[in-house]
Amino acid sequence: MSNFMKLIWNEQIKLYAKKATWVMFAVILVIAIGGGLITKFFGTESDFKEYGDNWQTELQAENEQLMAEMADDEFAGFTNEFIIAENNYHLENNIKPQPYDGWEYVLDNSFLTSVISLFTIIVAAGIISNEFKWGTIKLLLIRPISRTKILFSKYVSVLIFALTLLVFLLLSSWLVGALLFGLNGLNPMVVQDMMPGYAHNDVLGEIAKSYGFSIVTLVMMATFAFMISAIFRSSGMAIGLAIFLMMAGNTIVAFLSQYEWSKFILFANTNLEQYTNGMEPTIPGMSMTFSIIVLLVYFAIFIGAAWAAFTKRDVAGN
Amino acid sequence: MSKPAMQLVNLKKTIGNKPIIKGLDFEIRAGEVFGFLGPNGAGKTTTIRMMVGLIDITEGDVLIEGKSIKTDFKGAIQHVGAIVENPEMYPFLSGWKNLKQYARMVEGVTDERIKEVVSLVGLEKAIHEKAGRYSLGMRQRLGIAQALLHGPSILILDEPTNGLDPSGIREIRKYIRNLAEKENVAVIVSSHLLTEIELMCDRIGVIKNGELIAIEEVQTVEHEEALKEVYIEVEPMETAKVYLDSHLENGVGVGSKELSMSVKREEIPQILKNLMEQGISIYGVRVLQATLEDKFFDLIGENSIE
Ligand SMILES: Nc1ncnc2c1ncn2[C@@H]1O[C@H](COP(=O)(O)OP(=O)(O)OP(=O)(O)O)[C@@H](O)[C@H]1O
Ligand SMILES: [Mg+2]
Repeated sequence: MSNFMKLIWNEQIKLYAKKATWVMFAVILVIAIGGGLITKFFGTESDFKEYGDNWQTELQAENEQLMAEMADDEFAGFTNEFIIAENNYHLENNIKPQPYDGWEYVLDNSFLTSVISLFTIIVAAGIISNEFKWGTIKLLLIRPISRTKILFSKYVSVLIFALTLLVFLLLSSWLVGALLFGLNGLNPMVVQDMMPGYAHNDVLGEIAKSYGFSIVTLVMMATFAFMISAIFRSSGMAIGLAIFLMMAGNTIVAFLSQYEWSKFILFANTNLEQYTNGMEPTIPGMSMTFSIIVLLVYFAIFIGAAWAAFTKRDVAGN
Repeated sequence: MSKPAMQLVNLKKTIGNKPIIKGLDFEIRAGEVFGFLGPNGAGKTTTIRMMVGLIDITEGDVLIEGKSIKTDFKGAIQHVGAIVENPEMYPFLSGWKNLKQYARMVEGVTDERIKEVVSLVGLEKAIHEKAGRYSLGMRQRLGIAQALLHGPSILILDEPTNGLDPSGIREIRKYIRNLAEKENVAVIVSSHLLTEIELMCDRIGVIKNGELIAIEEVQTVEHEEALKEVYIEVEPMETAKVYLDSHLENGVGVGSKELSMSVKREEIPQILKNLMEQGISIYGVRVLQATLEDKFFDLIGENSIE
């Protein structure tokens, strides 16, 4: 094993020697199972319906029944309208509806990447500051290894941890989904509500897209927490700031969107999905390229600041 | 005299505007145990932090096996094993796993080597327990094991006897002597207690307020030639004083009950015999062992923290 790999190995051992890390995996598993059970037993009935060869007739009958319900009960209108619109999309495009399955469950669980972001922030915030807290930083820095290498082994370890959580989320969602709902083949097509309109796409592509876009926020916030941890050597501060900004990010952008410079705010750019599917960007004049450049600049600043703080400063006190 | 394992060259550290270390110049040779002595706040830990590159050197340099810690950090630090301040460990890992962490950070430390070091510091029984449950003494041992893993030629121990019981201190002392004598390791031991390190050191450097105020060889062999303070309780004192004044070149001092004189060890029996022949009664004789402690206490004086 190369020197750098051994450092990463060391970091992973320290990480998994702590109970808190296992709790994070347990939380994801519990949410995946719980979410599956809730969907199974409280989900919309029509989602699970299996249609026969005459599915067109079945859909039309269903629509008529829904309309009738709406005439009787004005409160039924809200959900029923959605179902009717979706049914019409199937009819117009000649797509046979398929029952909800494990793949769709994986796709629906992509919102859990925000939980992964949270956990990754916690790990990123602690990976440097804990060494200071334990006093072990002194033993780490008196080896024939440059501080730069130690810093990056820690950063890469954080990314590996995030990736591990992500794979764990995908696998557990897929397993729970497959057990509870079954699978419609290896890579079925799914109809998605694009608000407005509907789209018909293969599920693997959609999963890759929705998890992929969420990784941007994850990496940026983890890097931010890592930087704060390297500068202030305190995990509490790093966790607090990163989580606050992650939660308040969109509000901050909305609040400042009247100003021209607000498009340079990190959070105005983390959602790259805003440029897909013909959606309007948050602030006019922004583009995918613009956002990627802004993100790269922030990333470089975060890493640069962490590096400067970690390699240049005295390790004294405590 | 062997070549220096470590050299401090006009070493200075200023934090803010406050000069903490004000120009240290000394060297430590291979195979010697060097005691770094000074009262609390004298700057021992600060100096050690500079020796191992944990803090920047404001001025001057530290050369380890001829390599500058400033410009050739890896080349210099690979010869060093150290404990700085307290022996801190990952509390959630076992002693063994703690050592494995450090073993992975250098080339060529095998599991056999780790076992060897563990048995050297006598930690075999507890090595698979979590380090968080270790007593201070056990952590101190694990700290030393950690510092020795890669077979360094320079060992730096900041207050290694801190928290050890007397038998623990004796063991560490024996062990440190062994390393220096058998493996030719240069050992630097800091302490604020002279009595603790005078028994294991070959030389002692005294630091106070960031300045080196003395470097002394520790005399392990009794010198026959050295003058000793001898106190004699005699009756009648006046007669004895007159007699001794005329026979000793340094003369005698008069205390309340005793006469004091500086003489060589071999002269003592003759002096006593002569006094008795003069009809003087001798009630007691004591020879003062001038310890290093007296000497250094004079040097250090009041421990005033600037
Ligand atoms: N980061 C710092 N900022 C300001 N002053 C400092 C800093 N670190 C150390 N000092 C000062 O430097 C002096 C030397 O401290 P140092 O820890 O080196 O002493 P020491 O000889 O190891 O003492 P002890 O026997 O108590 O361990 C002290 O007066 C301390 O107040
Ligand atoms: Mg100290």
